[in-house]
Amino acid sequence: MRILIVEDDALVGDALKRGLAEAGFAVDQVGTAEQAEVALAADEFDLAVVDIGLPRVDGLTLVRRLRRAGSALPVLIITARDALADRVDALDLGADDYMVKPFELPEVAARCRALIRRTRSATSAQLTIGQVALDLGSRTVELDGHPLDVTRREWSILECLALDTGRVVRKERLLRAIAGWDEELTPNAVEVYVSRLRAKLGDAVAIRTVRGLGYRLDDPAA
Amino acid sequence: MTPPPEPTRRPSSVGGRLLVLLLAPVSALLVAGVVIDYYSSIGPVGTAFDRSLGDVALLVASYVRPGTVETLRRGLPPEVDAALAGSGARRGFALRDANGALLAGDPRLPAAPPAAAGSARSAKPVFGDAVVGGEPVRVAWYDFDLDGRMTRVTVAEAARSRDSPTRALVTATLVVDILQLIAIPLLVILGVRLALKPLLALRDHMAARSARELEPLDAGSVPVEAQTLVESLNALFGRVRAAAESQQKFLADAAHQMRTPLAGIQAQLELLERDVDAAPVRERVHAVGEGIRRLSHTARQLLTLARAEGSATLARDFRPVDLAGLIEETVTAQLDRALAKRIDLGAEAAPATVTGVGWLLREMLNNLVDNALNYTPAGGVVTLRSGVAQDGAFLEVEDDGPGIPDSERPLVTARFHRSPDAPGHGTGLGLAIVNDVAVVHGASLSIGSGASGRGTCVRIVFPAHAAAPA
Repeated sequence: MRILIVEDDALVGDALKRGLAEAGFAVDQVGTAEQAEVALAADEFDLAVVDIGLPRVDGLTLVRRLRRAGSALPVLIITARDALADRVDALDLGADDYMVKPFELPEVAARCRALIRRTRSATSAQLTIGQVALDLGSRTVELDGHPLDVTRREWSILECLALDTGRVVRKERLLRAIAGWDEELTPNAVEVYVSRLRAKLGDAVAIRTVRGLGYRLDDPAA
Repeated sequence: MTPPPEPTRRPSSVGGRLLVLLLAPVSALLVAGVVIDYYSSIGPVGTAFDRSLGDVALLVASYVRPGTVETLRRGLPPEVDAALAGSGARRGFALRDANGALLAGDPRLPAAPPAAAGSARSAKPVFGDAVVGGEPVRVAWYDFDLDGRMTRVTVAEAARSRDSPTRALVTATLVVDILQLIAIPLLVILGVRLALKPLLALRDHMAARSARELEPLDAGSVPVEAQTLVESLNALFGRVRAAAESQQKFLADAAHQMRTPLAGIQAQLELLERDVDAAPVRERVHAVGEGIRRLSHTARQLLTLARAEGSATLARDFRPVDLAGLIEETVTAQLDRALAKRIDLGAEAAPATVTGVGWLLREMLNNLVDNALNYTPAGGVVTLRSGVAQDGAFLEVEDDGPGIPDSERPLVTARFHRSPDAPGHGTGLGLAIVNDVAVVHGASLSIGSGASGRGTCVRIVFPAHAAAPA
């Protein structure tokens, strides 16, 4: 998985480059938006980590240009500003995620992995989180290389959580995923299926309960 | 010796001064008018009564002939009788010779006018006051020649018979005067009020403004006299706004300039810690890393405080903010910290929308959750709540930690205040930020105990007008 870092600050850029490399990514770094455009035109990348405060052409402009040129490259924006407007701008302009400096390197790596996974799931039928492998086409799960028997509703919940690994998925969304057109299910049903999934998956992945909101599937590598 | 205390001077009001300056002379003039009217109407009325009394004397005199004196003693001719009957109480008459001996009529009437009234020996009657039978009377004396002998006619009428017509006349004048006395001050007050209305409207408009409104006032709607004042105010607003905007820009730039190197140092130390094999060195690198994290945190808090204070530029940042969404965002952001401390971080978010500054409210909630996670021991429960209560939309963060003692509660919102036995490395800025953000939003902040009587429950209630249509 190859990542392009667009960051003009040497200290931050270097730390990101090393940190992401240690997390298993192939990493390149440039210091300006112009250099980034050249690099993206020349090579294939799976993700760009873009700082907003770049000299001359800022990060938001770079994202806007990429999207206008039809690029679907996932972009993680990094900024030193925390105004709500920046966040809204970044996501409106087509960035996929947003982090505020200072950041923790493991979290940056986890977000990168989640973004790439989500983009890939749109084109590929395979989704792997730790020891768990999902085949989105045949709707089957493998645990440690062995097929795992899950019901239709358990599968729907696992798929929802896996596609948003590391993010909180609201209970209502999971309920909609398992409820058919003519079925009335209570939120308790979601709890029942989640606890069955936990029993079946064991320690391979953790499904955390976020009280009052929903669930989060954590990648043990993050 | 201590100097006498300065008399407290109340600031003078234009309305008050106008009223005093107008009402005092106008009232004095009106009162003077009443007095003048009284005396100037009493005089002519008295003269008119005297003239008719004098006419009666002349009439009586014209009836007296040398031979009629005896007749008069027996009965008066009808014309004389009618003239004496007059309109009020019957007038008395007396006829005397030059020696004062009574020829006919009422002997009680005084024979001669008082010296001050002058001599009756003139072509005209002489008038004076006297008391007859215990009753004040007005008397007219008229001397005429009867067969070469000086004869005197005395005519008197009761003073009280004059009273009621005089009173009617004076009363009519005074009623008009008193009506004026009441009406004119009222009209003056009304006029002053009306004239000051645009100024009062300006005052009310200013009073209704919140501190963060620095939009120019409408100079067109104020009187000419106040226009210069309004223009000066507008110029001042403009300068304050410009100053606040440049301060906000400076703070945003400062935040940016500080965060980037801090992020670099923090990330580099994180890597260094992994690379170092020697445990003692690794521990020191870790300690430096923690110091940098605290520094970042404090810098962020200080910038938030400074930017919340520059609320003059925030007016345009006020937008509908979904509190439940804010809670979801905060729980998501702090979940890892909570998991690391084995704290059950949860939400009970009912829909609620307020008009506010999104990033400030997020900083507020983050600081509240920071505090809760810092002070709640492992295994504890922290819950974020939102909703709409009777008194308005609210945000609430409750933990089951050690709680804040009652005596500490009023102090904890002061900047850099830390409870003496507070654990950890807090800056003492968290609740100060929460307080400032609440103030910016006109919200009330209350610190209580958790539902079970343990822990802390911080509740922010937004004013009803801040509730935005969802």
